[in-house]
This record gives sequence, structure tokens and C-alpha cells, in this order.
Amino acid sequence: MDEARVHISGFRMDFGDTTVVRDLSFDVHAGETFGFLGSNGSGKTTTIRALLGIYEPTAGILHINGRDFKPEHGDRLGYLPEERGLYKKEKVIDIMTYFGRLKGMGRRTARQWSLEYLARVALADRATAVLDKLSSGQQQKVQLGVTIMNNPELLILDEPTKGFDPVNRRLLMDIIAEQKQGGATVVMVTHQMEEVERLCDRVILLKDGTAEAYGTIDEVQNKYGGRIIRIRHTGAIPPSPHYEAVLEETNYSELSLTDATDEAVILKDLIDAGVTVRSFTTTKISLEDIFIRVYGDQNVPAAAGTFSTAPAPARDGA
Amino acid sequence: MAQHNLGTVLSFEFIRTVTKGRFWIGTLSVPLIIAVVFGLIFLSNTSTDTAAAAQKSAQFSISYTDASGLITAEDAALFSATAADSPDAGITAVQSGTVDAFFDYPTQPESTPVRVYGADRGLFENGKYAAVAQAMLTHAVEQRIGSPQLSALAAGRVQIETVTYDGTEESGGLGSVIPPMVFLVIFYGLIVLLAGQMLNSTLEEKENRVTEMILTTLKPTTLIAGKVIALFGIGLVQMIVFLSPVLIGRLFFPEELSLTALDVPPLILDPVRMTVGLLILVGGFALFTTTLVAIGAVMPTAKEAGNFMGVMMALIFVPFYAVALVVSDPQSVIVQIFTYFPFSAPVTALLRNAFGSLGLLEAGIVIAILFTGAAVMLRLAVRLFQYGSISYTSKVNVRTALRAGSRHPAEGPPTTGS
Ligand SMILES: Nc1ncnc2c1ncn2[C@@H]1O[C@H](COP(=O)(O)OP(=O)(O)O)[C@@H](O)[C@H]1O
Ligand SMILES: [Mg+2]
Repeated sequence: MDEARVHISGFRMDFGDTTVVRDLSFDVHAGETFGFLGSNGSGKTTTIRALLGIYEPTAGILHINGRDFKPEHGDRLGYLPEERGLYKKEKVIDIMTYFGRLKGMGRRTARQWSLEYLARVALADRATAVLDKLSSGQQQKVQLGVTIMNNPELLILDEPTKGFDPVNRRLLMDIIAEQKQGGATVVMVTHQMEEVERLCDRVILLKDGTAEAYGTIDEVQNKYGGRIIRIRHTGAIPPSPHYEAVLEETNYSELSLTDATDEAVILKDLIDAGVTVRSFTTTKISLEDIFIRVYGDQNVPAAAGTFSTAPAPARDGA
Repeated sequence: MAQHNLGTVLSFEFIRTVTKGRFWIGTLSVPLIIAVVFGLIFLSNTSTDTAAAAQKSAQFSISYTDASGLITAEDAALFSATAADSPDAGITAVQSGTVDAFFDYPTQPESTPVRVYGADRGLFENGKYAAVAQAMLTHAVEQRIGSPQLSALAAGRVQIETVTYDGTEESGGLGSVIPPMVFLVIFYGLIVLLAGQMLNSTLEEKENRVTEMILTTLKPTTLIAGKVIALFGIGLVQMIVFLSPVLIGRLFFPEELSLTALDVPPLILDPVRMTVGLLILVGGFALFTTTLVAIGAVMPTAKEAGNFMGVMMALIFVPFYAVALVVSDPQSVIVQIFTYFPFSAPVTALLRNAFGSLGLLEAGIVIAILFTGAAVMLRLAVRLFQYGSISYTSKVNVRTALRAGSRHPAEGPPTTGS
């Protein structure tokens, strides 16, 4: 309990007659990086806003460091909201210094830190430019800088990669990794499943207003069978109680194992059923596969983009 | 921490306003207009014609004493003026109502002021006494024109001091109205120039999506209070700029701009009325600022907030339509309503205070109403901003935002999911 940076239990959120979050409970431990996952509109942003006191929860406890969050408590929070924006008509350096001061830094320190940060993200020459003269990607970098000012002990990032090109996304991930190394607890909403697999210690999957899965990545993978078999073949794949075909094309299929049956047994069954097997690989189920499995039956808006239903590139080994 | 943040917000908001060119264009245009108006008054003032003054003479009875010996019996007869036995007798006659006015011409009218005593006929009428006294002297001098001393007098360079009586009581007249009236002028100037900025002060956070960053970084009370105080400071800067032409004028053109040249009687600073005026100004400014900030917190965009502005502006101008009533019949029901309704109170009460018809008790009540109103509006603005401003795109449901205990976020279109 004392190790929980974030503690949420029995959280419920209604907007008028609509219930967005029904019953949500989870903890984020100090020092861990936590992936907060769910399809669009599943209530992630709403949960974060309720946690930060921007929304009043309908019911439940949402604590940071053991109490309701209030800015005046002086918890060092770095929050990158999904809806971003800063004072458009002010100079970059003035905005950063202002927020640095509000977060408890001295004026000189805040300025110095900001200049160093801007140099690092290749914006040194834009320090005295008015914010809305910057490109949207550059503005994102300024916003990220503001978020990580004054060494936050808790970083909450709501879709941080939104608006970043691949190069800057790498920069962003490096910065997050650094913060993590520096001891920060990170809560991250993202649709980049590979990044979740790379960075996150634990995850939660939100569905229908409650937790669909919650735990370490291993635990979540195991919950969904944990293993996936990719096969190139000729001949139809027969149904079986041991697996579920998550993808079936003419010559390529992905089978998700639903019990602990050994892969060799499955291979033998397939050959016995007259399937010609050309290649056969077992991998751990990816978060992306799980995501599609969990939300695939929902009408995912086309804009979602980042998690297409096209076959994932075959990955060998776990 | 909170204290320190208040200072940070205050200086950020103040500096970013006064370093913008737009601010200075608006601010500097006011003294420019004032300077033009002063110039026009000055020009028209030098050509006061005697015909107009003579017309006025028909309307009141005059007695006079003339130590200079410039005014002949014919001159006096033209103005239907009768000679008084002595200055004291003349003043007594005015006080008892036997005559309307008494002019006391000194031995050397070119250097000593002409003293004018009149029955108090109200602010707009009292000026006629000085005008006629001047006309009478000018007329007499014109009859003898030729000597240089007389030419100077004919050119109108005569000082006149007017004293008016309400019965035997000396009444203040214009000289005591002008100083407290300055507060009203300042109030208008500040509201007209700053209203837009007050409204936009939280709109900016909403329109630019800064709200979430701000709300998780500092207390909304600190933010709003910081903004309101910054607006006070900005108002102060503007006030100084507005008064600058007067100050510059007094410093560099003391002759041309001396108040007597403008026909303005000596100013009387009544400490009570000045204090009341200042308090109403500050209270009224605070109320309007907090109200506009609250409106800004509810409205999604500047455009929609603009409609509300119209209503607020009407409320500060409406008492002016009833200005005659406010001055002449301060106890009438409509003036009473204007006096105590918070949004028309500042203008009405400032007017009445200037004309001396606002009692101390009434003033106390108005000031209390304004400051209480401002405090309530500040709280309201904070709540609306805190729980409402996250609805970036729709209007905040005020009732929902205010519902105590189990308040809910305002219903609105969802956050834009990616
Ligand atoms: N202020 C609000 N008023 C009404 N409905 C809202 C509001 N904010 C969010 N919602 C609804 O809550 C649901 C969850 O939204 P959100 O938390 O933004 O989802 P996510 O961040 O997981 O994509 C959506 O259906 C959205 O329409
Ligand atoms: Mg979201």
C-alpha cells in the first residue's frame, strides 16, 4: 500500500445517463512504468482526469501518494494531457520559465533548464520565438519539456506519441526511459504496443468500463494463452479445442493456444488432418494480438490506424 | 508555495499584457482623444460671445459693487443690474433671495479676481453668473477701449471666483463635483478598455487547451486571483497614462491650461467624497472583473462570450440615460434600484457621490454590495473554471458545475479521441 504511487479502487464515472467507467481498480507501484491500454473511448482519459481532480468521480477512490490529488500538495507531477496546448502568443522561453516557476523551480534555474532542454531537442534557436510560430511537432516538444520540468516523481502521459514523427518519437521514448531510470513512476496511455512491450512493467486493458486484463506483460500474455503459432501451410486448418484461429488466410494462419497443450502435439494433429505444413513457429502472443483479440469485435474507428487488423509481420522467437 | 505562485501568475499575466503593442495602441489613444477634446474646449472658450451672455442676463436679477469705477450706470442698466450699498449687503441679498446674483468688481480687475455670488441653481445653471459678470465688465471696457490696460481686460483675461448659496449655506458647485467625478471617468475608461481582456483572461486557457496543464499545476483560486490582481495593475498603468496629458499640460503649459482659462472653478477636494469615490471605483472594478472572468470561464469561445459583453456594457451605460433623474431626484424608485443593483451601482453611485446626493449610509451599503458581489463572483469564477472549463467545445452547464458535494463534469461532446 505504501508503495502505491497511484491507487484506484471502485472507480465509476457517469456522464449524465452514460456510464463510461463502471468499476475500475488498479495500483501503480512506485518506480514502475505502467501501460494504460484500451480502445478509443474506453475511458482512459476520463480516468486520468478523475485521478487528477479535473473530473469529479461518480464513485470510488482515486489516490496519488495516498490521498486525493491537489496541486497545492506539492507532489511532483508531470502530466502530458491528450488535449495539448500552451500560451500561443508568448515566447517559448517565457512559457517554460513560467511553468517551471509554478512547479517550484527558481526563475534562473527554470530558464537555464529550459535552454538546455531546447538545445537538446534542436530548438535552441526558437527559444525567443512566439509559440504559435513553431510547427505543431515543435510545439509538442516544448510541451513535453514543460511536462518533465522539475524532475517529476510521477509522469502521466496521455498518448504522448500523438503528433510526433518517427524520429521525434524515438527522442520521446528516450526521454521517457531516462525519466524512468531517474526513478520516476510512469503511467502511459498509448496505442504503440511495441513500445509498451519494450518499456512497461505492467499494463491494464480497459474494456466496457472495467479491467479486461491487468498485470505484468507475461501475466497478460498467459491469460490469452500466452503462445501463438504461425504456420505457412496448404490445406484447411481443422477446428480444435486446443487453439483458436485468430487469422486464417489461404496459406498462412495464426493459431492462439487456449490451453497448455505442447506445440508438437498440435503439429502432429495438423499433419494427421492432412494439412501440409511448410513452416511452423511458436511465439509469445504479442500485445497487439491481444489488443485485436479483445477489441476486434468492436467497431474500431478507422482513424485508430495504429492497430490495423492486417497480419502482424511474422516474428520469430519470443 | 501558494503565495509564491500568486506572485508568479501575477507577474506573468501583467508582463505579457504590457509588453504587447496592441495594449499600448488602445491605451495611448485615450489621452490622445482627451488632448484633442481639451484643445477644442480651449479654442471655443476664447470666443465666448457676449450675446449669449446677454441673453442669460434676462433670466436673473443682479446687484453689484464696482471698486474699479469701470462700469457706468448705462452699462449696468443694460444688464438690469442695480448697485448694492456694500459687498456685505450684496451677499446678504443673495442669501435672503432678494436678488439672484451679486457681482463684486475689485479695484484692479486685471489682477484681482472678480467675486461672484449666486443662488445655487444647480450645476449646469451656475455657470451663467460668471459668464454675465464677465460680459458686463467686457461691455463696460469696450466702451472705453483705447488704453492698453483696458485692451487686456477686453480680451477677457479676468479671473472670476464664483460662490453659490443654497439659502445662507455656501454650496459647492462644479468645483466640488469635478474631483469625485474623475472616479466615474476612470471607471468607464477601465471597463471599456479592459472588459475584453477580462473576458479573455480564462478563455485563452480554454481555447488554447492550457487548462489541464494549469489545473494540475496550481490552485484555480491562485490563477484567477492572480489574473484579477494583474488586471488591477494593468488598469493602474492605464489610469496613469490617461492622466498623463493633464500632468504634462500642467507642467509645460501652466498658463494656457490653468483651470480658470477653462472656466472651471477652483476644485474642492472633499475627503469623504473622494474616499467613497475611490472605494466604489475599486469595488465596482473588482465586481466587473470577476464577473467577466466568470463569464469567460463558461463560454467556449470569445465570439460567444461577446454576446454577454453587450449586456454588461448596457448595464454600465444605462444609468447615464437616467442621468438627469440621478442628479435631480436621487430618491426616486428607479434611481434607488440603479443604486443598489450591483451592476448598475458603480456608475449610479459614483454619479450621486459626485453630485453630493449619496448619503454616507447609502455609500456604505453600495460599497458593501460591490465588495461582497466581487467576492462571490470570484468564488463562482473559480468553480466555473475548475469544473467547467474542461468542456472545451460546449457551454458549461452552470448548475452542473456548481452542484455541491457530488458535482459532475459538465456534459459535453467527448474529448477528441485519437
Ligand atoms: N466531458 C464529457 N462529457 C460527456 N462525455 C464524455 C466527456 N468526456 C468523455 N466523455 C465520454 O467518455 C467516453 C470515454 O472517453 P475518453 O476517456 O476520452 O476515452 P479514451 O481516452 O479512452 O479514448 C467517451 O465515450 C466520451 O464520449
Ligand atoms: Mg483519451
